[in-house]
Amino acid sequence: MKRILPFFLLVSLSLGSMAQQAKSVILVYLDGGPSQTDTFDPKPEATREIYGTLKEAVQTNVPDIIIGSKLPLLAQMADKYSLIRSMTHSNNGHETGHYAMITGDLSRSSIVYPSYGSVIAFMKSPTYKGILPAYVSVTSANSRFNEGGFLGNKYKSFDTGGEPEKMVFEVEGIINREIKPGTLEKRMQLLDGFEKTNPFCKSFTYSSAIDSFRRINTEFISGASRKVFDLTDESKEVRERYGMNRLGQSCLAARKLVEAGVPFINVRTTGWDTHKKHFQRMNEMLPELDQALSALLADLDEKGLLDSTIVLCGGEFGRTPKVLWEAPWNGGRAHFGQAFSYLVAGGGFIPGKVLGKTDKTGENITERKVYPCDLIGTVYLLMGIDPKGTLPHILEGNLPILPSLGKEEQSNGLLYELINLK
Amino acid sequence: MILFCILLLPAKANEIDRFIFRDKQQNNQLCSDEVFLRRTCLTLTGRLPQAEKSRLFLSSDNTTKRADLIDELLDSDECTQYLVMRWGDILRIKSEFPSNLWPNAVQAYNRWLYEKIKDNTPYNKFVSELLLSKGSNFRSPAVNFYRAFLKRSPENIYENISLLFLGDRICNDNGHFCFSQIRYKNTKEWKEEIVYVDLEVMPIAPKIEMFNQQEIVLNPGEDWRSAYVAWLTGKQNKRFAGVMANRLWFWLTGQGIVSEPDDWGKHNPPSNPELMNYLTDRFIESGYDMKALMRLILNSGAYQSAASPQGVYVPQRLPAEVIVDVLADLTGTSDSYWSRVPEPFTFYPEGTRSVDLGDATVSSPALELFGRASRDVSLESQRSNKLMPRQMLYLMNSSELERRIQKSNILNEICSGQTNTENVCRAITLMTLSRYPSAEEINLFKAHTEKNGLSLRDLASDILWTHINSAEFLFNH
Repeated sequence: MKRILPFFLLVSLSLGSMAQQAKSVILVYLDGGPSQTDTFDPKPEATREIYGTLKEAVQTNVPDIIIGSKLPLLAQMADKYSLIRSMTHSNNGHETGHYAMITGDLSRSSIVYPSYGSVIAFMKSPTYKGILPAYVSVTSANSRFNEGGFLGNKYKSFDTGGEPEKMVFEVEGIINREIKPGTLEKRMQLLDGFEKTNPFCKSFTYSSAIDSFRRINTEFISGASRKVFDLTDESKEVRERYGMNRLGQSCLAARKLVEAGVPFINVRTTGWDTHKKHFQRMNEMLPELDQALSALLADLDEKGLLDSTIVLCGGEFGRTPKVLWEAPWNGGRAHFGQAFSYLVAGGGFIPGKVLGKTDKTGENITERKVYPCDLIGTVYLLMGIDPKGTLPHILEGNLPILPSLGKEEQSNGLLYELINLK
Repeated sequence: MILFCILLLPAKANEIDRFIFRDKQQNNQLCSDEVFLRRTCLTLTGRLPQAEKSRLFLSSDNTTKRADLIDELLDSDECTQYLVMRWGDILRIKSEFPSNLWPNAVQAYNRWLYEKIKDNTPYNKFVSELLLSKGSNFRSPAVNFYRAFLKRSPENIYENISLLFLGDRICNDNGHFCFSQIRYKNTKEWKEEIVYVDLEVMPIAPKIEMFNQQEIVLNPGEDWRSAYVAWLTGKQNKRFAGVMANRLWFWLTGQGIVSEPDDWGKHNPPSNPELMNYLTDRFIESGYDMKALMRLILNSGAYQSAASPQGVYVPQRLPAEVIVDVLADLTGTSDSYWSRVPEPFTFYPEGTRSVDLGDATVSSPALELFGRASRDVSLESQRSNKLMPRQMLYLMNSSELERRIQKSNILNEICSGQTNTENVCRAITLMTLSRYPSAEEINLFKAHTEKNGLSLRDLASDILWTHINSAEFLFNH
């Protein structure tokens, strides 16, 4: 802990010259690895071996940009976002792919880096004064690795749990439908009485800390934070615009969290690991994604929040452009970390552009490779965090915030093509 | 009041206490029997004592009852399981990232650890077996020690060994030469891997000098790990014994004599050098007998003193697994665990205890919330027992926990056929806090029932909720 003070001084000095453009990040994480071929990098000119049963692509409202035909709503608003079609990290395991995509670390050292949500929560901790945690996941983070990394438990995500698509979104610890109204207040009085008669609690050193935590929590439960998660105070039209499903309502919750000032929101949606029944699943899942993501972008834009909110959408990797028609896959797509796509919008990202290109089949990148740390570093930059800064590690001292940045085969430069430096 | 009466140090004090209390020996306040019982069960087994056990212990007049309880718990299967978990933390046992051991090997490794701890294998022998291991990850489970590295370089392996067994965070000698012969190869069996030593490798230097001015000679054609292990575990290397003695002290009292327990060196001397020396010598004399050292510590007035942040026994928030398992025991339900690897997913049966999971890849939101060790690095501080507001939020107002309290079979049983508020209150207090309620507490709960017109079962829920939210429950004290 000794190292933290000089570290913050260092950061604040180096940030003097950098203007923060974005206040919040929403990561719509398609856990399992979505197919880029059927979403943001369609190949209608290829063969059935590549496009499978989703041949058609749609023209967007930006000339020269086409996307998958199952995303018609997003197609009408391509001037609100940009696409990266040349993401790469070459990891084909869920866990290694996820680690790469969520930390930007491809150095394969023995050090476990924190996720960028945790890094942002950590970097914003001196200035962030919101009542909600700085990093919130709707409804849970991918706990496949320790995503607080070496920053520790404190900077892990707050997982809401619950089912936002239900009439009442039960947020773990905040909105509890299991108890009758008034019960918690009565119990709190009982607890207060209990601790006052209890010799241990009365003299316990940490009692005042515990009291203050309880006060924070009571405010949390009864106060403004409860309203943040109360989706019923949105009109029926707004809720339906996002789609009355898990992903749609999670995106709506994310917009409300942005309004509450939360710096990092992870909307994690599962089911994208489509080894089998791929096209059937795409036909079910893509319309939901299309509706939720387009509603989120439009809603943020209409509320004047898109300029200060980064929206990202993608997974831990993409899927093989070649369809596996043979048994046991019978029309599936496997993991593909070689070349895949991400959608970026808002918070200083220039919209209406495509960065990077893949070849005719989509198997190889032909233009502007983008590595995970290039994307994450650009997000840091827009969030006013120095991508070349450091993080404190208990054994190693100060470590680079992005160990792969600037290294060959791990990085290809920040995405200056997609941002306007202020 | 038995509960809060203060006992003076017994006339025949444990030798450890000579180094702690010295002149002010009279001032050591021992904890009550209730606290001792709860503290020792939690510390050694990660469980609360069952109500019947508490009743017997508290009513016993036997003057050796504390020592007897220590012996009983040290020999219990629960204690072995709990120690396997603690070792698993620092050996970083994990199926996936970053150790990447894979489930079959994780199981084999845990079983091996379990046997070693159950047999109370002398520490020097245990470490030798671990470090000299070779063969298949399934058939010679100790080799998983060498597999649990994201980057399997001699430097990384050696840094980890220095950290684990010497508390050395800096590691600036050339000991890694001793591990430069380690090689890995796959077999035809899925995820099987052989760890072997390539004796053809020529030494980079004929010998290396260690921090205690001793030398390790690297003879061509030999397994240099043997020379290293002979040096490491040799009696003249007191630091090897000291680090483990201090780790056990830390595991049992919550605070290392060298603190943090994995940061040894001139920059961080022990807070009580005489005590550290004494424990180290006793540990070596006993033939590196870990249970004997634990027994010595547990029987001391120091371990049994009343908890205080400045004292010898520091109150500690219950570890993640302990909170999760205790809540499961108190409500008669359990958290659910599943593993994503190998596919298809493996679901753990209802009633699985988180202490027994043995794999940091298998987790649950509650375990993560309460700061379970991530098993990324071999540092004790990877486990976070710091109390955070959001942990209290979970205990205060989680829907999931509330459902479990309301449906609890245990509370149903306590209330069934019962009409007496006091009996319900006594039964729940004994179960959660390992003591009987005071008259004031009984009156408080009675008044609460009357004021709110509660059924006995609703009262039972409120009592349990009050207890698990109180500092007395949250901390091992």
